[in-house]
Amino acid sequence: MSELLQFFIAGLKNGAIYALLALGFTIVYASTGAINFAQGEFFMLGGMLGVWFSSLGLPLPVAVVAAIVATAAIGAAFELLAVRPLGAGDPLRVIMVTIGGSVILRQLALHLFGPDELPLPPFTEGASIKVLGAAIERQTVWIWALTLLAVLGLAFLYRKTAFGKAMRATSLQRDAARLVGVDTGRMVTYSFALAAALGALAGLAVTPLTQTVFDVGAGISVKGFAAAILGGLGNPVAAVAGGIVLGLLESMTAGYLNPLYKDAVALVVLLIVLFVKPSGIFGGGRREKV
Amino acid sequence: MNRLLRFVPAAVLTIVVAVLPLVVADRFLLKVFTFVGLNALTAVGLALLFGYAGQVSLGHAAFVGIGAYACAFCTTKLELPWLAGFAIAALLSALGGLLLSLPSLRLKGHYLAMASLGFGELMSVAFVEGSPVTGGVNGLGGIPFPAIGAFEIREPATLYWLVWGVVGLAALIAFNITSLRPGRAMRSLHGSELGAQACGVDVTGVKVRSFVLSAAFAGMSGALYASFVGFISPSVFTLSVSVNLLAMAVVGGTGSLIGPILSAAALTLLQYIDALIPGLARETAQVVQSFQADIYGLAIVLVVLFAPGGLAGLWRRRGGERP
Amino acid sequence: MGWTRRIVTLGLVAALGFTLVGCGSKSGGGESKTTEPYKIGAVLSLTGTYAALGTAEKNAIELEVKRINDAGGINGRQLDVIIEDDATDEAKAVSAATKLIEQDGVIGIIGATGTGQTMAMRSELQRASIPQVSMAGGNAVTSKFDKLVFQTPWPNKIVVPFVLQAIKDAGYTKVAVVSDSGGYGKDGHEIIVAEAKNMGLTIVSDQTFNAGDTDMSAQLTNIKKADADALLMWTAGKEAATVVKSATDLGLGLPLFGGSGQARAEFASGSGVAAEGFVFGTGKSLMPSNWPEGSEERKAVQDFADRYKKAYGADADIFAGHAFDAVGIVADALKRAEGDVDSAKLRDLIEQTKDLPGFGGTFTFSATDHNGLTADDLALYKIEGGKWVLAK
Repeated sequence: MSELLQFFIAGLKNGAIYALLALGFTIVYASTGAINFAQGEFFMLGGMLGVWFSSLGLPLPVAVVAAIVATAAIGAAFELLAVRPLGAGDPLRVIMVTIGGSVILRQLALHLFGPDELPLPPFTEGASIKVLGAAIERQTVWIWALTLLAVLGLAFLYRKTAFGKAMRATSLQRDAARLVGVDTGRMVTYSFALAAALGALAGLAVTPLTQTVFDVGAGISVKGFAAAILGGLGNPVAAVAGGIVLGLLESMTAGYLNPLYKDAVALVVLLIVLFVKPSGIFGGGRREKV
Repeated sequence: MNRLLRFVPAAVLTIVVAVLPLVVADRFLLKVFTFVGLNALTAVGLALLFGYAGQVSLGHAAFVGIGAYACAFCTTKLELPWLAGFAIAALLSALGGLLLSLPSLRLKGHYLAMASLGFGELMSVAFVEGSPVTGGVNGLGGIPFPAIGAFEIREPATLYWLVWGVVGLAALIAFNITSLRPGRAMRSLHGSELGAQACGVDVTGVKVRSFVLSAAFAGMSGALYASFVGFISPSVFTLSVSVNLLAMAVVGGTGSLIGPILSAAALTLLQYIDALIPGLARETAQVVQSFQADIYGLAIVLVVLFAPGGLAGLWRRRGGERP
Repeated sequence: MGWTRRIVTLGLVAALGFTLVGCGSKSGGGESKTTEPYKIGAVLSLTGTYAALGTAEKNAIELEVKRINDAGGINGRQLDVIIEDDATDEAKAVSAATKLIEQDGVIGIIGATGTGQTMAMRSELQRASIPQVSMAGGNAVTSKFDKLVFQTPWPNKIVVPFVLQAIKDAGYTKVAVVSDSGGYGKDGHEIIVAEAKNMGLTIVSDQTFNAGDTDMSAQLTNIKKADADALLMWTAGKEAATVVKSATDLGLGLPLFGGSGQARAEFASGSGVAAEGFVFGTGKSLMPSNWPEGSEERKAVQDFADRYKKAYGADADIFAGHAFDAVGIVADALKRAEGDVDSAKLRDLIEQTKDLPGFGGTFTFSATDHNGLTADDLALYKIEGGKWVLAK
């Protein structure tokens, strides 16, 4: 019983990280119709910049916030420099630009921070919390709390603020939004900044457990993309659910089957979902543009 | 007259490619140009898939891998003649393409990209775990050179001609398909699927055929790679390779075959620029080396930004043909 | 209009092609062969996954080459090591080897950093009969004996039995194993399973993880219920820190063991208190003081460690050490040369290496052993206060 609980905790922990990344994919997808393959690099940059700021002597909470803000700024700058000039065109060109951009960001991190893995201390020191025979690392609690905070914050932003309404309008109908006076171009910039901030948050939250290094982005990108697709692309709630499902699926496979096959099992489930219900487990009907 | 002139670029390219080994004696350069050919072969298939059928694959490294392992297994463990191994490699990859394309028919855009990515990752696991066939993570070595009958092809120049010969053949097949009726049908898919369907185009057939063909091209590229290098391991067929191959097809431009070949050349040669620029001081070459990946990423971004039609668009008339 | 564009584009492509042709035809030159530098190539992973390893190796190689040349070179000739980056990519490793052989005319090659890259360039080296001194630790490098290939790191086949012996000596019999699914982990795992049986140890839980995994609690929970006495971890990845942290957090309470993969400062610093008491086996040279006072090994290793620290401000890790050995072995072979050296002669000279003190230990090669290291070159370490000390 305590085993099942432990696997469940592990699944929720990874699931929360995947959810943050999937949210990033979803937000950019909603505003541009494209997949941002640099999402994983924002995850890497968050951790790297956090380590760097704290090595400058900043207290950890300040370093964390600074890293999120800096990554968001990089995300916005990336959009302005490379995505904005494309105009509203073929999403595939946006994808290509983000692929090229991810190579550049990864190389920058290699040049600036070196090839070695770097550690970050846990947000609160101390032994893990014991619940019914299972153990929860303190950092895991932080991951959950920060993910919850991010999700609630996003929900508030999207539902209650004028800014959020403009974002939603942009994602539903770009041209119509422009007609009613929404600066859709700026909304795309904001969406990149927001996605970058979420990626950075995930990277920062997990680095105390795993350390970070310049090339962690690509692998985690695949997980986040898979979670977003599994849930149903373009829907924030589904993205979070997709992340959690993916995390649980992996940890149950690792626990009860064989850790070697956890990626494979997750992928097989993903493919089955795609083939049976292409819009994702939680996605609604698909709209096709003619 | 104008119709004939359209073939001038292809003819010039063919001649340049064909006579290159006569002018270049350096084995290293020939080797690099052979790698260009291997990438071009897969890129032509991807261009067919993407440019003409409007489908994106993020898993083509898996088909390259299937071809490579099939050829390696047939020639080393089964000791089959090389041509048989090569044919089996192409067939198996095509079969893989068929298996993936059938359930993917309902998918489009990003969902198809994800499905192909998932397939690619699954095959990566299979390459590592199928050690009786694949040699596992340690890879498979001692793969013999290509041989046709008793004639072994081992000299860099002959290997180069073999690879580029296959590229030429693939391009010819692709050209025939795209310039005939099914090709125009495929091109129409890139615009609007519903529209094509309304015009009586067999959308499903075109999609499946293009997927199978592009997988077969990738498999042939893999088989040639395995015989050319003599050693393969799972790390040669990863997601990043799939992404690079797709980049070659996209940077090349849609609706063209020469574009992807040129971009495969450009993006492959970019990874060797330190060794290709003549007269570079060694210190400078080392600096260039450490920034090679940066230049590669930047090149992709710049081409997409400033050449919307890809490399193919660069020599098209402005406002003429649709990019 | 359109025609001009097409012709210009084609012209550019053709121009590029023919410029490339130009650089291909560098001739060897007819200078007196006895004053020219010895040309050796090095294929390293300076970017990509193994960038951390390759960069340390590059530092060590450059440091050694400069020292040798400042002291007047070898037999009055300079040593010229030409470094190529393979970007942790096998196709690039093959082309790099070809370039070094064809364009630069090297007589031997140091590298590669990774096992896959080392194996990939092999057929190219065989064709030209170029000896290869590899710094990759994989068993595959020497499992199929090749007369051209030499290896400087401690292979798993000597480190694994050494660590298992330490576990047995400490009185543990039931061992839980966790290894990565990559080359190093898989290679080690096979030897662990075989050797444990020979030594009478029981493997009560056998777990694996993939590179890039961020969570180990499933594996460790299964180990927890397996009633083991000790946990043996075999990996060279950064996930090692996640494993030990997770083991502490789950309250596993088992003594932890590992191998050369944990002989990196990043492991101790990245794991914090979780790594306290971690025991691992690797080369003696990790602490030069392991060698007897005044011994050749101690002098060589201490001198290298001091110079490396002075030049780069960081401690030399084991990868730097293996590269130091690769240069040392080649330089020592050249020193013994009489007259001019070609690649075949260099290979023979390397094979005759005898009692050469280096970082890995004392190298003695033979016609059947191209690694030459034994358990005598190993020591057991323990992590205390975030630093390694000699165990016991």
